[in-house]
Amino acid sequence: MLKVNNLYAGYGIVPVLEDVSLSVSAGEILLIGGENGAGKSTLMRAIAGFNKPTKGEVLLDGKPLQGMAPEAIAQSGLRLVLDGHRVFPELSVYDNLRMGAAARRGDKAAFSKAVDQIYDVFPILKEKHKAYARDLSGGQQQMLALGQAFVAQPKVLLCDEPSMGLAQALLPPILSFLRNWAESGTAVVIVEQHLKVTAPYADRAMIIERGKVKFTCKASELDEKLGLAETAAAH
Amino acid sequence: MLSEIAIIVVRGVAIGSIFALIAMSFNIVHGATGILNFAQGNMFVLGGFAAFFLANQVDVSWWLLMMVVSGLLVAALVTFQGWITLLPLRSAVEQDSWIISTMAASIILGAILMITQGPFAYTVQSVVPSFRVFGVRTPGAYALAIGAMVFWYFALRFFLRKTLLGLAISAISQDLDAARAAGLPVRRLQLIAFAISGLIVGTAGFLVAPVISVSPDAGMRYVLNGFVATVVGGVGSNLGTLIGGPLVGVVAMLTAYKIGGSYQDLASLLVLVLILMVRPQGLFGRTTARRV
Amino acid sequence: MTVSKTMDSGAQVSVSTTSRARFNSDLPQVWIGIALIAVTGFLPSLLGNSYWVHTFHLVNIYIAAAIFQNFLFIDAGQKSFGQGVLLGLGAYVTAIFFGMHGYSFAAASLIGLFAAFLGGLLFALPALRVQYFHLGFVTLSAAIVFPQLLMSLDKWTNGINGISVAVPWIHHEVIFGLSWLTIMVAVYPMLALVVHYAIRNSRLGRQMRVAALSPEAARTLGVKPGVMRFLAFIIASIGTGICGILYLPAVSFVSPQGFNMEMSFLFFMAVVVGGRGQLLGPIIGMWIVFILPNVALVEYVDYRLLIYGTLTLLTVVLFPDGIVGSVERWRKARSVLGRGEKAFRIDPFLERLKNNTQFTPSDTEYAVEVRNGVKRFGAVVAVGGVNMKVRKGEIHGLIGANGSGKTSLLNVLSGLSRLDEGSFLINGHDATRMAADRIANTGLGRTFQTPRIFTQLSLWENLRIGLDASTTSPSEGIRQLAAQLEAEFGQDNAELLSHGQRRLVEVMRVVLKEADIILFDEPAAGLSQSERADFAKLVRFLSRNLGKSVILVEHDLDLVWGIADTITVLEQGKSVASGAPEALARDPAVQHMFVGGARA
Repeated sequence: MLKVNNLYAGYGIVPVLEDVSLSVSAGEILLIGGENGAGKSTLMRAIAGFNKPTKGEVLLDGKPLQGMAPEAIAQSGLRLVLDGHRVFPELSVYDNLRMGAAARRGDKAAFSKAVDQIYDVFPILKEKHKAYARDLSGGQQQMLALGQAFVAQPKVLLCDEPSMGLAQALLPPILSFLRNWAESGTAVVIVEQHLKVTAPYADRAMIIERGKVKFTCKASELDEKLGLAETAAAH
Repeated sequence: MLSEIAIIVVRGVAIGSIFALIAMSFNIVHGATGILNFAQGNMFVLGGFAAFFLANQVDVSWWLLMMVVSGLLVAALVTFQGWITLLPLRSAVEQDSWIISTMAASIILGAILMITQGPFAYTVQSVVPSFRVFGVRTPGAYALAIGAMVFWYFALRFFLRKTLLGLAISAISQDLDAARAAGLPVRRLQLIAFAISGLIVGTAGFLVAPVISVSPDAGMRYVLNGFVATVVGGVGSNLGTLIGGPLVGVVAMLTAYKIGGSYQDLASLLVLVLILMVRPQGLFGRTTARRV
Repeated sequence: MTVSKTMDSGAQVSVSTTSRARFNSDLPQVWIGIALIAVTGFLPSLLGNSYWVHTFHLVNIYIAAAIFQNFLFIDAGQKSFGQGVLLGLGAYVTAIFFGMHGYSFAAASLIGLFAAFLGGLLFALPALRVQYFHLGFVTLSAAIVFPQLLMSLDKWTNGINGISVAVPWIHHEVIFGLSWLTIMVAVYPMLALVVHYAIRNSRLGRQMRVAALSPEAARTLGVKPGVMRFLAFIIASIGTGICGILYLPAVSFVSPQGFNMEMSFLFFMAVVVGGRGQLLGPIIGMWIVFILPNVALVEYVDYRLLIYGTLTLLTVVLFPDGIVGSVERWRKARSVLGRGEKAFRIDPFLERLKNNTQFTPSDTEYAVEVRNGVKRFGAVVAVGGVNMKVRKGEIHGLIGANGSGKTSLLNVLSGLSRLDEGSFLINGHDATRMAADRIANTGLGRTFQTPRIFTQLSLWENLRIGLDASTTSPSEGIRQLAAQLEAEFGQDNAELLSHGQRRLVEVMRVVLKEADIILFDEPAAGLSQSERADFAKLVRFLSRNLGKSVILVEHDLDLVWGIADTITVLEQGKSVASGAPEALARDPAVQHMFVGGARA
């Protein structure tokens, strides 16, 4: 579904990512870990078009996306949920969801079905559907941000640090929502620092270090691999 | 005495409505793009010229039609100007080139008007008859100005809160990156915001042509007073323009009557400096959280 | 303690002796500018061509005004559309006192200069509070109002008739057919150019530029951005006022129409077309925007506003750097090279600071103390009841997940944002309501998560602003270190540094500032393993050899546990645990961070 080949990207003339490749297929969750500053967010932003890759390609169903504007990439079915639970603070919860679907016009029925699904998973959003998004808590805003992406029904979902600024207890319901979503046939990439909590929901994992892929493995083997990698680094 | 107060208040509020209209046209573009269009005053005067050339001494239905035409013409021009202004903003390094390019656009427009129309003030006949308020004869266009302010305030309020297009424009003003990630066609929405601002000043200039100075050098004064109204109300707040505009208008009228007409702009400048020193966020402005 | 020993290794600093391309061409531009002004200022008189003599009188006066506009616009970041007003004040007030009231030209000039200064003050007052487009409108309004006032205050200004003046002596020949006026009008813009260069290369000039580029970085370096803006306006108003005084004898007549908006636009546009910030820019720009319509296309003189506007718009869209700026960019891209991994390292330089003093953290005195600190952004609570005590001289680690409030807390401590509730003390003094610059001047320094590196400045200048911010005169060690850094990095381009190197530049900046309390915001992010090891050594060195107190926000828990004396853990904006690393490692509140958490 999503394939990234030998991607190089950075800010201005400062390179951040070097030769990063990854692939995710439909129904699968790829977990990306790495410390702050390793280039995880830059990778997400480069795939979604926010900063232009200097080299390499991003393929969605074989169609190249690199060099396109972020809004065009979103319209072609790749949706990035930015870190920091960013929603439109001065719009109501429901209007925020409408904005999510604005990228794919028409099909009102599909939209209201998707909204119902979101309300089922996160009933608090239904309860507060008239409230301004700024009045939600951080966790509710994250749910809304995901809901906004969900109603767009993208083929690929990139989710940058869903846990940022949230209590850890809020993470499992969000992750299981992402799991179910993936199983409905969406390719999902999650960038997360809480690897232990997230790994059980993911299929594969990838660790990035200083802008390069350190290793890729099955999510279930992540703990073991991390331990090994650290011992190796220590020597 | 009483009639003098009445004149000052009625005319002040009416002139202030014009400033409020320009302020609203600032706000919609500023929200969507972060740009304050310095050329907006000349665009407004262009609406006045449209009234002179297309609808001087005509019947009401033709006049109404031409008002729409004027709005659309100015909207098209502002959209084109907006397109040019947004061009260099594609690269992230040039975030304030707009101050220069909209200023340049304003100078170009003023210069073209000056070259083609000469440095004269044009008189436009009013279609709406004058009326009496508190025993004072008041030109009909003053009522139109106040009416246009109220109309555009509610029209914008409805548009920005209820329609999908308006909500999308609000969204890009609230979080541009999140809007792009959601796939909103940002550039197109920004151009639509420019178009709407053009529609506002194009129709406003047309409507009030009989009571303003339709001359090539008037644009800067309207830009200035419109901006003062924006700042007094709080940048981004259309509700604030309803207060800010009339306030600036009344101050200008008061100055004109008590000191002299040529001191009106000085009074506006002093109001601007005062509000910036005392309450820079304006009456209805929000203080935004600082991010480091 | 084996710190000093490890610092010894690799202490040899190679100062490259090969000549490198200069980072900026300011100095050559000054010389070229002086030459151009000399030729255009003197040659017409020597050749006896009075048309060109007069034209270049005016052009060179305008160039001087544009030079001050350039300074104000780029070095201080203030967009003024009203510089013509300041020139007009200088000219008009001089004319009033000289031409109407019979004062001597010198006395009238002084009064005129004072008037321009007052005008600058009026511009500067709002600049203390606001900036950005607000100021553009204030100055634009002034440009609109000024000619109106000249007209309506006709009792004093002679209104529309203007004032004619004659200053015979100034037109007398001094030497080689050059009159006093010709000499003054040619020398003044040269002086203006030199003044601009001198300010730019002074401490004040650097602080102004930093304040214009990043007000919050400036504040953490003890600079008040408002004061910088204010000073810039004052300098520019005096410089432009003198232009007005010279304008008077050059034109022999002032009238309200002479000082309309067009004049202010001319100065602004000349700077943009010539190249914003380039010292030569105002000269080239003025030749194009003034001479082209007024001389070359003189039969189309009515079109000159159209030409100004069009040239400017085309420049902004096609060559945003302007003419000189585009040439300079091309030169830099060709010749100023980066040095890859070796571009900036910190460890070899610290040798200079080594001494035999050993410090240990105090047990009784606190460098920083936070009491029940709460900071909200709207509905979001960023810091929700933090208690923290940082002992003098210790390394205090501050850890927690992303979004747990660490950076918000650092912003509070450095004065960039204010607590909504609670208080904090620095060195025992209440600092809750202190402005960032005051906190910085009490001896606090910080780095940012996104390093504040100014690509307009050379690498050395980027470091030097730390030295500029020092509140005491630098110690001998710092002085030597600075000399070494200048020799090594004087011509390096900071734009070419990697992220990791940028962080180290900020760290070195704080070292040069000689701050007693240092806040590091994720300093290790983006550093390699070996750079991290060096950084850890550096932090220990700062604490143990120089006696600094360090607060370290960091995700690399190995690093924190390796060097911190005390660690505070934040979760959801609250301090949930605090203590020595060994004790804390066994704390159940913290354990999840080890196994499941940020360690990747």
